[in-house]
Amino acid sequence: MALIRWEQFDPVGSLLALQDELGRVLRNPGFNLGISGYGAYPPINIFEDSEGMVIIAELPGVDPASVNLTLQSNTLTLSGGRPRGDAGEGGAYHRRERDFGEFSRSIKLPEGLDMANANARYEAGVLIVRIAKAPEAKPRQIAVQSA
Amino acid sequence: MTPEPELATREKQEVQGTEKTRPGRYFVPNVDIREDENGLKLWADMPGVSEKDVEVSLKDGVLTLIGAVSPAPYDKLTPLYTEYNVGNYFRQFELNEVIDEAQIKARMRNGVLEVELPKRAQARPRRIEVSAG
Repeated sequence: MALIRWEQFDPVGSLLALQDELGRVLRNPGFNLGISGYGAYPPINIFEDSEGMVIIAELPGVDPASVNLTLQSNTLTLSGGRPRGDAGEGGAYHRRERDFGEFSRSIKLPEGLDMANANARYEAGVLIVRIAKAPEAKPRQIAVQSA
Repeated sequence: MTPEPELATREKQEVQGTEKTRPGRYFVPNVDIREDENGLKLWADMPGVSEKDVEVSLKDGVLTLIGAVSPAPYDKLTPLYTEYNVGNYFRQFELNEVIDEAQIKARMRNGVLEVELPKRAQARPRRIEVSAG
């Protein structure tokens, strides 16, 4: 599997490569999410790097303090709500396309992760959850001894 | 108080028709537009776009919104499973109202672009006092 590597001087090429890579594993049937699969809110993308697993969700207009993230055994649950805020005030609407309300989604994660070693960041409407690999799941170098 | 509805996932819609100079996918941001006597207010969902990468312009009565998404958070990541693609955002609206261009305000908050488009003073309804006698 190709590792995405971005060139700093070429944001356009990086974005094109990213779009191709994301399309390639769209709803990858080899990855089992458990009961709340595709269609549940929020939509998620799952990645890995040398450190562990990275789960990214698009959650625009959400107060980061109101997002609940729980990890229990191998299940990650994201829940919270998106209030209408001042978009709910009076006046006449020409367009009303955005959705508001509550959400809760639980996804099953693969084995070999260190659930105690996780962090989450919310920036520009995107939630990024990183969960480190368990030490025993990391590749280990074995020294070869001469006889 | 009515209970909050449950959020449902909507598939992102790609921009059709107009061609951009920058290649790649462009998505249509979901918007709300509200009008009152003072002007229009618009909200556009653009997750992944920060305030420095958004462009709002009004020319010949056409409002253009462009949001450039940064691929930086995906550096060195290998995707395993995806449900959505990422891309820039683009949308245009023809405005019928007379907008005071100098007074347009825009800000980005948690991936949502908010644009305030105040009407020109002469386009606002004015109450005319009726005097007796």
